[in-house]
Amino acid sequence: MRALILSLFIGLSVSVFAQQSVTIKGWVIDQNTQQPLEGVNIVGVNSSFISDAKGAFTIELPRQRSYRFRITHLGYAEQEVIVDPKDFDEILMIALLPEATSLDEIELFGKTPQQRAQELSSISVGVSKTFLDNNRENSLMQTLKKIPGVSTITIGSGQSKPVIRGLGFNRVSVVQNGIKHEAQQWGNDHGLEIDQYAVEDLQIIKGPASLLYGSDAIGGIVDIRPPKIPAAQSFSAELNLASETNNELRSVSAGFRGRGDQWYYRGRLTYRDYGDFKVPTDQINYESYVFELVDNQLRNTAGFEANASFSLGYVSDRVKSETLVSNVNGKNGFFANAHGLEVRSSSIDYDRSNRDIDLPFHNVNHFKLIHNTTWYGNAHTLQLDLGYQNNQREEHSEAVAHGYMPVPPNTRERVFTKNTFTFNLQDNFKPNSKHDISIGLNSELQDNQIGGWGFLIPQFLRWTLGGFAFDHYRVNEDFHLQGGLRYDWGLIQTKEHFDWYRSRIDNPDQTTSYVYAQRSRNQTLDFGNVSASLGFSYLKNFTTIKMNLGKSFRMPLANELASDGVNYHMYRFERGAIDLDSEVSYQLDVEVDHARGTFVAGVSPFFNYFENFIYLNPTTEYYETLQVYQYMQTQAMRFGGELWIGENLTSDLRIDATLEYVYTEQTSGPKKGFTLPFNPPLSGLISLSQKLPNLGGFKNIQLMADLRLTDAQNRIVPPEEKTPGYQLLNFSLNTQFKWNRTADDARLRLKVNNVLNTPFFDHTSFYRLIDVPEPGRNIALALNLPI
Amino acid sequence: MIKKIHLIVFFALGLIVFGCTETSELDEEKPTISVSYAQGFPQACAQLKRGETYTFRAKASDNLGLASYSLGIHHNFDQHTHDDQPEACEMDAVKSPDNPLTLLNTYSVEGAPLEDELTISISIPNNVDPGDYHCAFSVTDVTGWQGRTSVDIKIIE
Repeated sequence: MRALILSLFIGLSVSVFAQQSVTIKGWVIDQNTQQPLEGVNIVGVNSSFISDAKGAFTIELPRQRSYRFRITHLGYAEQEVIVDPKDFDEILMIALLPEATSLDEIELFGKTPQQRAQELSSISVGVSKTFLDNNRENSLMQTLKKIPGVSTITIGSGQSKPVIRGLGFNRVSVVQNGIKHEAQQWGNDHGLEIDQYAVEDLQIIKGPASLLYGSDAIGGIVDIRPPKIPAAQSFSAELNLASETNNELRSVSAGFRGRGDQWYYRGRLTYRDYGDFKVPTDQINYESYVFELVDNQLRNTAGFEANASFSLGYVSDRVKSETLVSNVNGKNGFFANAHGLEVRSSSIDYDRSNRDIDLPFHNVNHFKLIHNTTWYGNAHTLQLDLGYQNNQREEHSEAVAHGYMPVPPNTRERVFTKNTFTFNLQDNFKPNSKHDISIGLNSELQDNQIGGWGFLIPQFLRWTLGGFAFDHYRVNEDFHLQGGLRYDWGLIQTKEHFDWYRSRIDNPDQTTSYVYAQRSRNQTLDFGNVSASLGFSYLKNFTTIKMNLGKSFRMPLANELASDGVNYHMYRFERGAIDLDSEVSYQLDVEVDHARGTFVAGVSPFFNYFENFIYLNPTTEYYETLQVYQYMQTQAMRFGGELWIGENLTSDLRIDATLEYVYTEQTSGPKKGFTLPFNPPLSGLISLSQKLPNLGGFKNIQLMADLRLTDAQNRIVPPEEKTPGYQLLNFSLNTQFKWNRTADDARLRLKVNNVLNTPFFDHTSFYRLIDVPEPGRNIALALNLPI
Repeated sequence: MIKKIHLIVFFALGLIVFGCTETSELDEEKPTISVSYAQGFPQACAQLKRGETYTFRAKASDNLGLASYSLGIHHNFDQHTHDDQPEACEMDAVKSPDNPLTLLNTYSVEGAPLEDELTISISIPNNVDPGDYHCAFSVTDVTGWQGRTSVDIKIIE
């Protein structure tokens, strides 16, 4: 937001060095503060440069022709500079336009997260590497929780998935390098399989985003962008080390990046290993059961994560191309005393070690191959994204007879294998100076296989094909209109499934028979959906006003359509409904944001109406002693929003406060008047941040205190539990120090989460259902060493 | 500047005091089911003889109306679970099932009463494996809430 009121000056002075080449000296400053800017990227065709601590840079160029450079820096508007060495014998000052007026170019190249967020009429938040580094938690989504409107569904200490304004699972899409992340998002105990250290730039859209991303982005998007292209003829590496007391985490991640002239590469290896996490209680009281804990450890919640990624890219002033290959592998245990809701006894000695992973556990491997190419033509910019993903997830538990099922032969309870192929093609062009038009085509093919002895969802194939057109119309400098239209067609083919054991059936003629029960059928269903969006952004002085109306949709999932099986651990029988329609949602978003100097304040209310929200409804019936849960559709409304305000109290002390609230209500159906599931409570965050004077070799010392105030959630829907409110205090200390004469400063972060060791429940945590509190006090140390 | 700070303090205070609990017309109460009364059957650690017929009894109640019952009996030869009763039962050695008793019965309740007693006659067949069993009762109300209880029992020869 600050970028709105800032602009950039670049001073270039050129001196003739030799007959054939010239050395251009320049510097970059912030227009408002007149302070030099460090780390600004000056990217040319064959070369790129970075400004130093004094904002200065030096370019050496052959003399024959002119060169084009892009100047990019986080939080500042991007500028293009043409340098002609032949004419450069005097100092040239170039002023970059303020970001607010630089909207006349839809650029896919090097925009800052904050900048992109402002250009959209949808409500979005840009997240930079600095934010991620300064707020890092155990998983990417836990780090992003600090953003108002964003929460998580967590299971244990290492896994979580995004919730935006109370919508999660398949209603929020995660996109990495233009490709939608496809895993088992529908699952309660699934976590996002992305290496958080490999993420440097992302954008969160808090609202309907089907227009650009198709089905599923009904509640919002977490859009992870590729990191910036490294400077030409450069090599850098960093080492990230972290350790935590609560779950005895040891984490090491090493990344490197480099570039010759036009070819560049990046790579990263991450390994994290953690023990059982500790809760601030000696015993868990769940219904009338009491589970005693040893040393406050939640037994069998240990796990590990091992990730590797490598990307290779090519850049010229006509083409930018990058191919990413990555693999994320993780395994973690589930709390041993209850599997789902089911209380379990076991002969396994869970307390012999807090680091071993016994049954029940799950392991997951996610492989990704993503290719992106952008062609910069004179009139058109073409963008191609190709993706292949393989997700393999296995849930293991002790083989135990259930209902009519005898003791199974092994521990492989559920196995999911998913292969996803994605194709996106987009063209951006400007028919005249007023319009920026994007048209695009997206297609995705998913093949979902199942295995194991427990049935929950059928095998299915899903193919979607969508096309869209989007126009950004600049009415005048301050007023921008944006609108678009999209059509999607989708096909779902479910495969029949029979139990591997016989169940007893009481026939009408008083006889009984034992049959292999059919759990799903061969079905082919197709869906057609229109998405649309219309909005404006108005930028005046220090205030941005946005309004957006969007229609988005979500195709039903195979389990919602065709499941017909027992979920013993949740004590329920889940029954699909083959006649479900696509979920359709209409949402009105407004945002008013004011940023003047160090003062920021804003509000972003929304109102949302679902024609037919798909909901797993607990009925009054039983099937083989399990309560029948039936997928059905109800009308629903949601409203709420976020408030934020912040100011520097002194030049070194800053206070920020945010508030987030979501109200949901089912307005038809058997649960009329109840909320939608997983409705987050009213919550606020007050942050104090104090800059401290340098101490010995430590500089940029910043002390932060966060007070999270969360109200009780008394608005629930069966089978949820009410959750009391809580106050939570976190501290952190960030600092930098010189550790090597040639390298950048090392960064050190010390944080204390849950300082007072407060026992509290997170309403949207998986373990909330069995009355397991959130982790207790945690002291963490993280070190980032650049090389 | 001072005005802005006032605004922040006001905002922060507003956060702290915001905590109104709304009164709701909705049914937010789960039904309950229990065998913890004199006639309740089976009681924890009860021993049931093969070939005998027993009357299982459990009392249920709800604020709005009861809808359905379920009664399940499954073997616990591997001791994979335990009941929610206060006393711990003495377990036999872990063993493999041969012909265990599996009972998965459901019953609907007529007229949505606020209180009801489930009374079911169950015969223990002569040919089932003796040993430790787990007996689980559950009940739903008209809204779709569920209440459960479970009892460890033993089937003897």
